[in-house]
Amino acid sequence: MMIVAAFRSEWVKLRRPNLLVGTYAGLALAASLFAVLLFAQAPATGRGGLPSLAQLAQPDGLIHGVNRAAVLLGVVAFGIAATQIASEYSLGTLRQLLVRQPRRVILLAGKFGAVLAFMLGAVVFASLVATVAAFVMAHARHVPTAAWTSSEGLADLTRALGDLLLATVGFTVFGLVVGLLFRSSVTAIIVGFAYLLPFEAVVTRIVPNTATWLPGQLLQSVAIGGQQTAGFAHSLILSAVYLVVAGAVATVVFVHKDVTA
Amino acid sequence: MAAQDAAPDLAVVTTGLTKEFGDRRVVDDLDLAIPSGSVCGFVGPNGAGKTTTIRMLLGLIRPTRGSGRILQGDLDHPASYLARVGALIESPAFYPSLSGRDNLRALVRLGQLAPSAIPEVLERVGLADRAGDRFSRYSLGMKQRLGIAAALLPDPSLLVLDEPTNGLDPAGIVEMRSLIRSLADEGMTIFVSSHLLSEIEHICDHVVMIRSGRSVFQGSVAELYGMRSSELVIRPEEPAQLEGLAVLLSRRGLTAQIDASSGTVVVSDAVALAGSLNRAAFEAGIVIVHLAERERSLEEAYFALTGTHSGDVEAVGALGGIQ
Repeated sequence: MMIVAAFRSEWVKLRRPNLLVGTYAGLALAASLFAVLLFAQAPATGRGGLPSLAQLAQPDGLIHGVNRAAVLLGVVAFGIAATQIASEYSLGTLRQLLVRQPRRVILLAGKFGAVLAFMLGAVVFASLVATVAAFVMAHARHVPTAAWTSSEGLADLTRALGDLLLATVGFTVFGLVVGLLFRSSVTAIIVGFAYLLPFEAVVTRIVPNTATWLPGQLLQSVAIGGQQTAGFAHSLILSAVYLVVAGAVATVVFVHKDVTA
Repeated sequence: MAAQDAAPDLAVVTTGLTKEFGDRRVVDDLDLAIPSGSVCGFVGPNGAGKTTTIRMLLGLIRPTRGSGRILQGDLDHPASYLARVGALIESPAFYPSLSGRDNLRALVRLGQLAPSAIPEVLERVGLADRAGDRFSRYSLGMKQRLGIAAALLPDPSLLVLDEPTNGLDPAGIVEMRSLIRSLADEGMTIFVSSHLLSEIEHICDHVVMIRSGRSVFQGSVAELYGMRSSELVIRPEEPAQLEGLAVLLSRRGLTAQIDASSGTVVVSDAVALAGSLNRAAFEAGIVIVHLAERERSLEEAYFALTGTHSGDVEAVGALGGIQ
């Protein structure tokens, strides 16, 4: 019950219009843009890195756009989660919260649950809007969509969405851990983004083998159902190990650290 | 008295409460005994350890040593008593983009309190009309009042207020005093900190004074008044003789301070020696034109106990805020 109370308390903050509309609409727009561009730029036959119109007409045609939006969704999930926890320190609101709920693990669990629910909702919403955009663009470019709604197509879509949600859980936990450890929204976001985007990209380009164990690469692999460098099962298991360890360290720090902010 | 054996008529008891940050001891072997139903002032210069003590009582900071009982709950298990405690710690901290009402709603939900408490506390602190406004649009006084409202949400038995008059204008300070007094009249125990005794002496019936993390006085305000000592104010006929008079008094083992602005020398604890000092001054060629006993103010007694040489106070003194 206390975790539910902590969840509902956090939800009061998450549902504020700026954050709710900004995140849901922003992600939906971005995911839709990926779908629109994918269909707009798709060649009649395969060339370059883009799927062809014929490939887009396949049962898994709908998930090409979803896969390309995975990194963006992950980065947003990370940023929001890191900000939600770190701002409690910078605003000084954590002391208010801990007076009302001194059981710190419960407070953290409720907060985590609420941020996770918020982000999963945003990803589902963005996926739905992007799917609608894909149907519109398919119609515009005369791509048949019957295969998308076949049982095979719906299974592909469900699996892709499930993978994306799993990766969102990972990026959200990653954001919460970094926010807890740095206790400053700005620092957490700078460090997290710098790590997830340029750092890992550079390292994997220089030493391709590192993609099999770098956490950001693993989460991206989970988001798109596995890739050549790291299979889905490997990525999922190793990501889970990383996140459990990081979550445990952050929880211990949160529970035992004095609150002087 | 061990904290474990706290008398039921004491809302807060600590024994040997100590907090060290690295090599720095911020709170040093502090024994508190705050009577239930009292308004207890917690006074000391900035940096004396007031906020750290309050944070330890609220479970935000772990004591390095010592024990305590708050509302009969164990200090080591804040969950055993915090449901009956309301607190305003330093400046009021809320989410800027949420309204005052929603800020309180977040706390009500977290503490599993009755939602009906929100309009009640907003009414009580005079914020009912502005409850829908964003916190970021509140004036400093309104923010402080929202902080009090948040502290009142659980209808607490113990209210802890850390510098509640900080940043308030004189009217706001009067309002805050009146609010504290009215809460005390309802039987609530109130533990209120301030670095200025004058701000809270009129509303407190119990006082704890600390300096450098250690208690220097603890008792009723009546006892504190009883501790005030008298001093002798002496004015020589010639202002040029102030220095000579001070030297004469010092040679007799007295503590004499020159107050050039009033042309007097102030001597502590020398009322009984007035006659002999007058005679000695005359024999030294100094004519005394004014010699009178003056009782030290409570504020002066406070500074005598807490000193003026700690942290921020020294800086304020240099600016002329404190003599």
